[in-house]
Amino acid sequence: MALLQSAHWPFLIDVYFFLGGLAGGAFVIATAALIIDSVRYRDVTRVGYYLALIALLPCPVILIVDLGVPVRFMNMVLTFNPLSPMSMGAWALLGFSTAAFLAAFLTLLEDLGKARNLSAPKLIVGVIGGFLGFFLAAYPGVLLGATSRPLWINAHTLGALFLAVGGSSGAAAIALVLAALRRRSRDGIARLATTTVLALLIQLIAVIGFVWSVRASGSTQALSALTLITSGPYSTLFWGGAIVVGSVVPLLLGLVALKRPSVGLTAVMSVLVLVGGFLVKTLIMAAGQV
Amino acid sequence: MARTLAMFTDTSLCIGCRACQVACKQWNELGLEVPDWTGTYQNHTHFTDKTFRLVRFIEEPKPTGDLAWLLMSDVCKHCADAGCLNACPTGAIYRTQFGTVNINQDVCNGCRYCVSACPFGVVSFNENTGTAKKCTFCNDRIHNGLGPACAKACPTESIQFGFRDELVPKAQKRVETLKAMGFKDAQLYGADSSGFLGGLNAFFLLLSKPTTYGLPENPKLPQKNILVDSLLSIGSAVLVGLGALVAFRQRGPGGEG
Repeated sequence: MALLQSAHWPFLIDVYFFLGGLAGGAFVIATAALIIDSVRYRDVTRVGYYLALIALLPCPVILIVDLGVPVRFMNMVLTFNPLSPMSMGAWALLGFSTAAFLAAFLTLLEDLGKARNLSAPKLIVGVIGGFLGFFLAAYPGVLLGATSRPLWINAHTLGALFLAVGGSSGAAAIALVLAALRRRSRDGIARLATTTVLALLIQLIAVIGFVWSVRASGSTQALSALTLITSGPYSTLFWGGAIVVGSVVPLLLGLVALKRPSVGLTAVMSVLVLVGGFLVKTLIMAAGQV
Repeated sequence: MARTLAMFTDTSLCIGCRACQVACKQWNELGLEVPDWTGTYQNHTHFTDKTFRLVRFIEEPKPTGDLAWLLMSDVCKHCADAGCLNACPTGAIYRTQFGTVNINQDVCNGCRYCVSACPFGVVSFNENTGTAKKCTFCNDRIHNGLGPACAKACPTESIQFGFRDELVPKAQKRVETLKAMGFKDAQLYGADSSGFLGGLNAFFLLLSKPTTYGLPENPKLPQKNILVDSLLSIGSAVLVGLGALVAFRQRGPGGEG
């Protein structure tokens, strides 16, 4: 057996991966709503842009605190290394933070009545920021795939999976906030339920792709790490939490909500999606580092 | 770039004295560590932030039922295509004019990506300095015309230091000699610059298959995954993005609430 070492990234990094994905997903969905109908889905866009910025705020702090020499965090943005997903991620975080701040700021100006309609600048910021947001959601998966850790190097769908989790959790978080605010946005919540269902489907396909590609690799070390998730100590959390409660049940609830839109049902679904998305990322991180 | 320097470790000559391990610690002032009890003479089980040279003691079962010692002084391979160097987001990891790979301790910020990226488990994290550490080929010595401390200390010339283009033919000749002596599994590991990772600047002569020594049979540059993984991510992004647009566009039962 090859004697590999692990970075032992702590739980905080799991939190960062989740929040970064959620922020990116929420931002893209807010932009999609803005593109389709800025008036009809005004609340979705507002909440989405605010949420993206709020979810993003702890991210740089988490990353800096985790460094061995935190004062040297700026060294990340003094280099541009396309072969390093971490380098590209640092740039994406910087770019997306700027976009998320601008989008939230423009929304705030509208909300405070300082400007009547800022849809045009929001659209520009939204589209550019949307690309960066999706990048931020996906890059951690590509980053893990570009290590020598057996579970990750043999899985090719981690980027796709992390992005889909970002999409589902972003949509779910917006829906949850709208439901909690009790605003009259039933239509928006119904659209968010549909978005969540679609993202969940892609998420499940990516999970299947992950398990399949690790199995197909035939690597003994990768299979033994996968076993931790599928039948070992993490299996209850994976099958029970991430798959059944966090993906399949909300998918079924979402399908019901598609037929009969319900704010309550969408809220329950959203909570489950958030839990499931967080568990998927956390368990893949944990099993890959053992 | 100057001629590439290399280290050729001929495991058939290693007697397990660990002079290399001690010389490395002394020259690089790596300090003491609590030994691991591994069940063999080997200490430690793997590379650490204070152990850059590690003599592996492997007991290989023989067809007769006896055990044979396989001894190997392991070290950073200074790969021509280095996973750690590619992974580094700060530019702290760099290649010298001699082809070796070093970590600039004044630039490294301790993100530890290189630790996970190394296909050989060489790069280690030092909690005290907060930076990644590994063998430098005794960078200070080779820039002053001296060989690395480990090679200098080796009493059997199991570790040889020199120009890569001179050491490789020498190593190939040695394999032929050993095969003629009956060591049928004798083979070079990492000598071929058209092989895995573009060749290793610290390459080895092994007496058994690489996995016996804990070395990967065919190590892969982790960054080779980036293209496929990114394309699949883009596919996922298109589906999720289009999904959101379609969801907001469709005529739904909700109507404006």
